Amino acid sequence: MFFGKQNQDLEKFADLLIKGVVALFKERGELIFTKDPVKERKSIIEFEGKMRADGMEKFNNEPTYVSAVNYYASEADMQKEKVLGALVIYVEQAYLPKLMKLLQYPPVDDESEEAMLDSCGTLSNIVAGRFKSEISSAGYIELEMSHFRTYRNSAFAGVVFCRNEYDMYTIDFEIAEKKRLVLEVSMGIVPTR
Amino acid sequence: MSNDKILIVDDSDLERELLIEVLKGAGVTNDFLQAKTGEDAIQLLGTRYREICLILLDWQMPLMSGMEFMEAVVKVPAVSKKAIIMVTASGTDENKKKAYNVNPNLAGYIVKPYTPESILEVIRPFVTIREGT
Repeated sequence: MFFGKQNQDLEKFADLLIKGVVALFKERGELIFTKDPVKERKSIIEFEGKMRADGMEKFNNEPTYVSAVNYYASEADMQKEKVLGALVIYVEQAYLPKLMKLLQYPPVDDESEEAMLDSCGTLSNIVAGRFKSEISSAGYIELEMSHFRTYRNSAFAGVVFCRNEYDMYTIDFEIAEKKRLVLEVSMGIVPTR
Repeated sequence: MSNDKILIVDDSDLERELLIEVLKGAGVTNDFLQAKTGEDAIQLLGTRYREICLILLDWQMPLMSGMEFMEAVVKVPAVSKKAIIMVTASGTDENKKKAYNVNPNLAGYIVKPYTPESILEVIRPFVTIREGT
């Protein structure tokens, strides 16, 4: 099932992601998390070669929007779909418009599924872009990033990930003393520059 | 026919709305055209290129990325000199370098999230701004 070496620096990538998200939210909406984000190392649950990404279990079975982005070591790897990393973002449906408002975006029509999917994708794009910049600033090579894919409740077909990896980090972010945003990150070995 | 329209190319409806809101709020009086994909933008540019004074271009888009759009544009003499500013979530030096390699005439590179001030500074030479703003 798994081949090759695993990324011994996975926790460092989780920390880079946290650093990026905290800075991004502060810059964008002066939004400060109620407490420090909580990270937890977990095993990747694999199904037919993809990472399971179920949103509803993150927020007590409440409807959830899910967005996923992949990272690649180079454009050539991206063409070959040789995935190095996966970032999955989960936001509870009821909170997504409020979160986007806090981030200074125009109002989101919460009755339009298309608008809600677009919002979650927009959020994942800025988070994933910031994470990519943090990775580069930490001395790693410049990664390529996929366009986001967005789902309601769960990514039914799963999310592609680096098959060498069997662990990921789940990171919970609290706003107004309630878990409002959950990120999952898996990353293979990223070469340094 | 006016030639002062700003074409915004971004697959995110919300990002396009935000950009227009920010620019209008900053006093920009130009009209806007919008494209949700690189392909739509190519079509718009093909038929209405005379009306467009500036293109604000996202990088990460499905099918045709912002870079692919720009690669196509710089090959067409009629539109190759159109002012393009990239507005993207990825702000690394290498990405900037890539963008300038594809289009040496790139008019600017803005990283999301941006402030009204930072975006205004870059687009000011290409747009009309209400007096007193």
